[in-house]
Amino acid sequence: MIVAEGLTKDFRIAERRPGLLGSLSTLLTREYRTVRAVDGISFRLRAGSKTAYIGANGAGKSTTIKMLTGIMTPSSGRCLVDGVEPYRQRRENARSIGVVFGQRSQLWWDLSVPDSFQILRRIYGIPDTVYERNLALYRELLDIGALGTTPVRQLSLGQRMRAEIAASLLHDPKVVFWDEPTIGLDMVLKEAVRTLVNRANAELGTTVLLTSHDLSDISAICDDALVVDGGRVVHEGTLHDLLRRADRRSVVFDHRGGRGVEDTVLRIETGLPGAAAGLTSEGRIRVDYPADAFTSRHVLGFLLEHFELADCYAPEPDLETVLRQTYRGGVPSARDGGAV
Amino acid sequence: MRAPLRVGTYVPFATSGLQSLLQYRSTFLITGVTAAAGAAVTVFLWRAVYAGSPGPGPGGFTPASITTYLVVAQVLAVVHANRVDDEVAAEVYRGDIAVMLVRPVSYPLVRFAACLPVIAANALLVGVPLLVLFSVLVPLTAPTPVDAALFALSTAFSAVIAFCVNLLTGMAGFVTTNTWGVRMVKQGIVAFFAGQMVPLALLPGPLHTLAMVLPFRAMADGPLTLLLGRYEGVGGASTVLGHQLGWTVGLVLLCAVLWRGAAGRLEVLGG
Repeated sequence: MIVAEGLTKDFRIAERRPGLLGSLSTLLTREYRTVRAVDGISFRLRAGSKTAYIGANGAGKSTTIKMLTGIMTPSSGRCLVDGVEPYRQRRENARSIGVVFGQRSQLWWDLSVPDSFQILRRIYGIPDTVYERNLALYRELLDIGALGTTPVRQLSLGQRMRAEIAASLLHDPKVVFWDEPTIGLDMVLKEAVRTLVNRANAELGTTVLLTSHDLSDISAICDDALVVDGGRVVHEGTLHDLLRRADRRSVVFDHRGGRGVEDTVLRIETGLPGAAAGLTSEGRIRVDYPADAFTSRHVLGFLLEHFELADCYAPEPDLETVLRQTYRGGVPSARDGGAV
Repeated sequence: MRAPLRVGTYVPFATSGLQSLLQYRSTFLITGVTAAAGAAVTVFLWRAVYAGSPGPGPGGFTPASITTYLVVAQVLAVVHANRVDDEVAAEVYRGDIAVMLVRPVSYPLVRFAACLPVIAANALLVGVPLLVLFSVLVPLTAPTPVDAALFALSTAFSAVIAFCVNLLTGMAGFVTTNTWGVRMVKQGIVAFFAGQMVPLALLPGPLHTLAMVLPFRAMADGPLTLLLGRYEGVGGASTVLGHQLGWTVGLVLLCAVLWRGAAGRLEVLGG
C-alpha cells in the first residue's frame, strides 16, 4: 500500500549569525547550508497494516509524512501510496488518504465542527449512508455531539483534536497518516481514539501510519514498527520483533529466607557476571542481565538453585527501553534498561 | 491523470467563506469609512482642478465625469480588496497551506471560490453605500444602458484580474517569508496604474503608454472608460475588452504555471 524507495529530502537553510551584527551581515551576504532531513529511506507497508513510525525528535518523521501526503516533493527517490506518487498526483492521492497533523488544524477556524464536517462531506463527495454511519460512530465514541455549534477557534485542544481525528476518518480513507494525533487527549478519549482506529482497520481494512511520542498509543494501536534514526530506517518489522531486540532482559522475584538484600545482590552479581540486581520499589529483587550472555532459562535456573523463590516473573522488555537503546545506535551501556 | 474538475466541490469553500465573513461585521464598517475618506480626498481635489475650466477640462473630463471616474474607481478598489493576497501569504507563512494540500482540491480554485463572497459582500455592504453617499453629495454622470452593460462585463474581467494579481502577490510568500512589503508595493502599483489616484488619461506620454499596456489598467480605467462612454464605437470598446481578456487569460495561465512550480518546491518546516 505504501512504498518508499530511496526517499530523500534536503532543505536549504539560510545560516544566520548570532547577535545584531550577525543579523545585519545577513542583509548583504547569505550563506546556505543543506540539511538532509530524510536520507534515502526505503520501506514497504502492506495494505491493512498498522505501523508506528518511530524516531527521536528531528528524525525526519514529519518530513516523510509530508512527502507521503503529497505536500512536499522528495529531493530524490520516490514513494507510492496505493500505486500513486502523491506529489505528482496530489489530488488523486488526497482522495484516498486521511490526515491529522497534531500541530495544525484542518478544520475551519471560524466555523463549528458540524459545519466543517458538512464541507468535508461535499469536498470528498461522501455518500449519505457512510456519512451518517461515521457520524453516529463519532457521537458514540468521541462525544462529538457535545461540541455543539462553537466555532473551532474557541474549542479546547482536547475538543479540537477529537474533531480532527473524526475529520480524518470521515470519508473512509484507505490510508490514514496520523502525526501526533493524541496530544491534548485524556486517558478516556485516547482509549476511544484507539477503539475508533482499530475498528476502521478491522472493518474497512484502513492502513494506518502513526507517529506519536506516546508509546502507549503505539502499543495499543500498532502491530508493526518502522524505526528511523538519523534519517535512516533502523528497524522495519513487527513491534514484537522490535521488542525482542532488547539487549537487556529482566527477571523479578520475591524470596523468602533470611538472606539480606545486599548479600542477595552480591551473590547474583558474582554468580551471573554482567548482570545487575537491585531492590524494586515493591520490595522485590530485580535482575537485569545482558540478553546475549544468558537466556531467561539460565537466569531462572540460577535463581531457583540459590534462593527460595516465592514468586517470580520475567517482564516483557518495554518499548521505551528498546527505543532508547536503538537511538543510541544499539550500543548497550552498563546501567540502562533498568527500572523505567 | 488529473482528477476531473467539479464545480460543486468548490461551493462549500464559497459558503464557508461567507459564514466566516459574517462573523466579523465591523470590518465592513471600517473598510467603508476608509474608502469614503479616500474617495473624498481625491474627488474634492480633482473637482477643484476642474472647477475653473469651462466645458471639458484636461483629458476631456467634465467635473461630473471626473467625479464619477474617481468615485467608481474607489468602489472598484473596494470590490477588488478580496483578501486573497493576505490569506495566501498568511497560509504560506504559517505553513497551514499543508492542510489545504492534503485535500482533493486545487488550492488556487479554493481561493477563488472563497473570495467570491468577499467580493459580493464588499460590493453590497461597502461599494453600493459609497456610491449612494457620493451621488447625494456631488453630481455624477449617469451611463447609457449599453455602457452600463459593457461596464458590468468589464468589471467581471477586472475581478478575475484582481484575483490573479492578489494570488501572485500572496505567492510571493514562497520566496520571501515576510510579504508585508510586497503587499504594500502591490497596493501602490495597482492604485497608481489602475487610475484610482490619477485618471490614466491625464498621465504624461511614456507613463500613459506604459499604463495602457500593464494589466492594472483593466482593474479600474478599463471599466470606467466603458462606463463613461469614452471610447470610439465598437472598435474602441473591443480594444478595452480585448486588453482585459488578454490579461485575464495571461494572468490565469501565469498563476497556474507559477503555482505548479511553487507547490513542487514547497517546504513546510516544523510540525
